[in-house]
Amino acid sequence: MAVALPRRRDDQIGPLGVLDPPDIQIECAAFTGSLGMLFVCVRERKIDLLDVPLAPICEAYFQYVIGSAADDLESSAVALTALAYLLERKAWVLIPAPEVDEPEADDLFDQVEPYVHEFVPIIEDLLTRREERESLFFRAADPVLPYEVPFDTGDVTPNDLARAFERILSRAKPDTVEPLSRPRRSLSDQMILVLKALPSEFQSLEEIVVGEFTRSEVVWWFLALLELIRLGQASVRLEEGEVQFAKKAQEAAS
Amino acid sequence: MLFVADSPATPEELAQAIGVPTYEVEEGLEKLGGRYIHTSALQLVRIAGGYQICTKPEYAEIVTRFLRPQQQKLSRSLMEVLAVIAYKQPITIAEVDEVRGVESSYGVRQLVERRLACEVGRRSTPGRPVLYGTTQQFLHTFNLQSLDDLPRIMGDADIAEMVGQGVPPEQPALPEFSNPSLL
Repeated sequence: MAVALPRRRDDQIGPLGVLDPPDIQIECAAFTGSLGMLFVCVRERKIDLLDVPLAPICEAYFQYVIGSAADDLESSAVALTALAYLLERKAWVLIPAPEVDEPEADDLFDQVEPYVHEFVPIIEDLLTRREERESLFFRAADPVLPYEVPFDTGDVTPNDLARAFERILSRAKPDTVEPLSRPRRSLSDQMILVLKALPSEFQSLEEIVVGEFTRSEVVWWFLALLELIRLGQASVRLEEGEVQFAKKAQEAAS
Repeated sequence: MLFVADSPATPEELAQAIGVPTYEVEEGLEKLGGRYIHTSALQLVRIAGGYQICTKPEYAEIVTRFLRPQQQKLSRSLMEVLAVIAYKQPITIAEVDEVRGVESSYGVRQLVERRLACEVGRRSTPGRPVLYGTTQQFLHTFNLQSLDDLPRIMGDADIAEMVGQGVPPEQPALPEFSNPSLL
């Protein structure tokens, strides 16, 4: 997701009915456009707010507020109001809706309260078809769960792995905050990187991960290692109480 | 192949797997269906765009006792949302709201979770709203071969036609009064 910082401009009445929110440009999979347009779309339910990550927008907001608070208090207040509006809307969406004990569809026509009258006969027809369908039994239509490739970790227990993770995590430096320009990273990319770095001979995590690293880099490393073990491309063993990793033998040969 | 298939198989899929022309598969399916009619507790049905073997309805009670299937509850509002999506697809949540006059996002999400509706694209309008449509599972659940099997929705023209039924084409002429002063 990309968020462009606002350009300063004259205040005007905007879609919230008050001053226009800052001109932050948002680009994500679910929405492309200005913040004002996002408000309009959210209010008119044209997009699903669940698909729009609010954290980067909040950060852009905070930068705007911090940058403009000294000379433009009113505009900053509008920005915060708008932010609160979006967050509240998303929070309501995220709260699981209580299961309303609605009447069964069979009772549908006893308590007709149709919002769309022309659909009532359609619903009746669908229910009849469903009833007919319920008298037919097919072979399992549910998708079969994908086959899990077995993997071997020998004597290494999840606790051993957790201890190795904690040990290297304690040596990591805190991440520097670069929220707006952080490149997107995938576990697949990290797995390729880790696979290249894995030695053929068993080594501890401290020996494999050289140089300085941050806490999030350690997390990425460890997740990639676990996935490689699961896929049978990395081996793990316990040597004198220390967990060691290596590239799987056939991988090394190939 | 129909026995191992856990979803409807089209004649084209079967023909490709067997390596024979599609018309031969269709002939074979017809013969197989005919053979099942009198000699088996199974039947061959056309559903969700393909063919599938299932038990005959007369054995439903016995099979139900054996399988004890859990009935999936579909509430009144969910049925309404589903009907709107089925007829107006591809449709956005905002348009479903507009047709129903009430908020429908929860209902749409429920239908997506139950695999009766799914995201089919995005409208190229500001905000790129998600478009929803029905799924193969919808056809299967409601015993439909395709969306064409859905009953036609009654439009204004149909209602006008129904209103016109039974009404004489021309009203009888009013009697003429000879004395206009009576009027």
